[in-house]
Amino acid sequence: MNSESSSIAGKIPMQTISGWGRTQRVRSKVINVTSTLDSNHISPVLANSDGDHVISRGLGRSYGDAAQIAGGTVIILNDDINGSAIGADGALRVSGGTSLDAIMKKYVPQGYFVPVTPGTRYVTVGGAIAADIHGKNHHVSGSFANHLHNLKLIAPQDSFDLSPTENPEIFWATVGGMGLTGVIANATVRMLPIETSYISMETRRAKDLDELLAIMAGSDDDFRYSVAWIDCLSKGAAMGRGVLTRGDHTSLDALPKNKRTDPLKFKPNSRLVAPDWFPPHLLNPLSVRAFNEVWFRKAPRLRQGEVVPLSTFFHPLDGVQGWNKIYGRYGFLQYQFVIPDGEEETLRKIMGKISNANVASFLAVLKRFGESNSGLLSFPKRGWTLALDIPIGSSTLSSLLDELDKDVLEANGRLYLAKESRASRETIRAMYPRLKEFAEIKARLDPKGIIVSDLSRRLCLT
Amino acid sequence: MFDAMHTPDNVLIVGGSSEIGLEIAKALARRGSTKFVLAGRSFETMQRAANEISSASPAGATSVSVVYCDVLAENAVVDLLSAASAELPTIDMTIFAIGDLGDQSQLESDLKAAQQILETNFSRLAPAIQGIANVMKSQGFGHIVVLSSVAGVRVRRSNYFYGSAKAGLDGFAMALNDALIDEGVNVTVVRPGFVRTKMTAHLPAAPLSTTAQAVAKATLEATDKQKASVYVPKAIGVVVNLYRLLPRNIARRVPF
Repeated sequence: MNSESSSIAGKIPMQTISGWGRTQRVRSKVINVTSTLDSNHISPVLANSDGDHVISRGLGRSYGDAAQIAGGTVIILNDDINGSAIGADGALRVSGGTSLDAIMKKYVPQGYFVPVTPGTRYVTVGGAIAADIHGKNHHVSGSFANHLHNLKLIAPQDSFDLSPTENPEIFWATVGGMGLTGVIANATVRMLPIETSYISMETRRAKDLDELLAIMAGSDDDFRYSVAWIDCLSKGAAMGRGVLTRGDHTSLDALPKNKRTDPLKFKPNSRLVAPDWFPPHLLNPLSVRAFNEVWFRKAPRLRQGEVVPLSTFFHPLDGVQGWNKIYGRYGFLQYQFVIPDGEEETLRKIMGKISNANVASFLAVLKRFGESNSGLLSFPKRGWTLALDIPIGSSTLSSLLDELDKDVLEANGRLYLAKESRASRETIRAMYPRLKEFAEIKARLDPKGIIVSDLSRRLCLT
Repeated sequence: MFDAMHTPDNVLIVGGSSEIGLEIAKALARRGSTKFVLAGRSFETMQRAANEISSASPAGATSVSVVYCDVLAENAVVDLLSAASAELPTIDMTIFAIGDLGDQSQLESDLKAAQQILETNFSRLAPAIQGIANVMKSQGFGHIVVLSSVAGVRVRRSNYFYGSAKAGLDGFAMALNDALIDEGVNVTVVRPGFVRTKMTAHLPAAPLSTTAQAVAKATLEATDKQKASVYVPKAIGVVVNLYRLLPRNIARRVPF
């Protein structure tokens, strides 16, 4: 026992933290660890936890309670790109606390893009691995872990170098393991070489769900990136109407002349800041319906060859800092599931229930997934994934989502743990049949059960 | 833990034989709470309540245990805390549903009974609430529900022992809310009007009377929104607050 670190931990003040949905707000001790490429600052926190539970946290973008532990200690590795190094083959070694934002700001101008990005740049590499995140390219490129060379895991009793060939069991438990196997100190990620910092984009409107699914199933594979926005409030014949945006990196040859002076320019829009206080019911079926109508109408039936900056295509919401506050003080949740190919009827049934329930989902996103990887708790698998942002407040929401859980489970689908904030233990256990294997590996790495999150307690994941 | 809809997993009901406590527990079981501890004096009533709670749970995945708790007993607070901590991995929500109306005219002459009414409704209860609050503070989250009464808003001639005890409890709980607001712990004070339960079965129903089910529903609406207090029904809040403002010589003549 190192008494010095112990006394430091004792002085750490409690802070109120929550996930991005701002629903389950709790108090934790928060320790900021200077991000280093080795482990010497992390191990003492795990070793000296004095029975405290510990979980690591990145930038707090998981929606529910994955990156918090009420009454325990939360480790945050600072976002530091300075120690990073990239090889000639595009393999980038960074610390686990490094944000994709910092990586893009440094490496896009050098001609490299991250292999997978979610809808925000404000996630860390450690978080990306722990949630095994996916992006608009999952149907062709797979999830984040598919692009990992290796990583360093600091577990409570030991540290490990992990890759699909080195300690593969622990590697596939850590990938998608929601931080429960240890702290991801650093990783080497295979970056994607790019000629420009632009995307050549196609925008296409689909009048209903059938048309949308047909277009996506038919030609998504021709595009590296593809995602559809869905109007969840449209009913009847127009149910599931949406706007599909697809694209690929613009080659230098295809770049308009006026952009060629600085083809790898990466200057995302300066950020607006959302004020702290929004009324709770600003986003209601009426306002969202109006927004959706405008959004759908303003989209072209088909527009091709548009060239847009990376951040416009991938991270439109990053332009507004703290956009999660527009849902008001009760917060919101994100419901995201995947169901296999061939379960389009289930998708239609679920869309019908959502549109009948008048759920004011302002952001509803549909995308196709490609093959899954070997991650024990990794979310993506071949099929369709739908993600809905839903404000908290309706008294019928809980039972509606419980009903959707059943549909998803019956279709052999599952929910995304990084978004999870309300499902039952039994549901999650049935959706992730490899949870038992995961728990066995976790118990080996952490026999005293030090690493615990509110998510893992709520769902009994370990 | 709480879920995103603020439904707790683990719930402690102090006053495990209380009808209001039971209705709140059943409503929580229907919403997905999984573990309950009922703490009270009558095992027989609590066992019946436990069965009702279990059958209210849609998945049948609810476990209910009953522990003896008499707030008037010497070590009541310590025993309650150790029993709750032993049964529940975390104490997510605690409902304090203890109350004893007493017979005002008897209490005026039986001073020992009068003291017990004050203890049951307030002075023995407050340290127990504080004890639970301390546990929740160190676990970094939690929600305490305190069943107060409109009788405590302005204490009346007709039941001033019960009313003054509830007034004390109400003031205590509201200030506890202020004390815990930055500690991750919520306190919600519920002020029902006349509730038709066994506690009031011998009394004629007052105007704006309500039911245990209605109190449970209003309580969970208030806890979902993390409100500091709620009147049940809402209208009675308006009535008692107008009554509170009446000059004393007029209020004295109001016949209730």
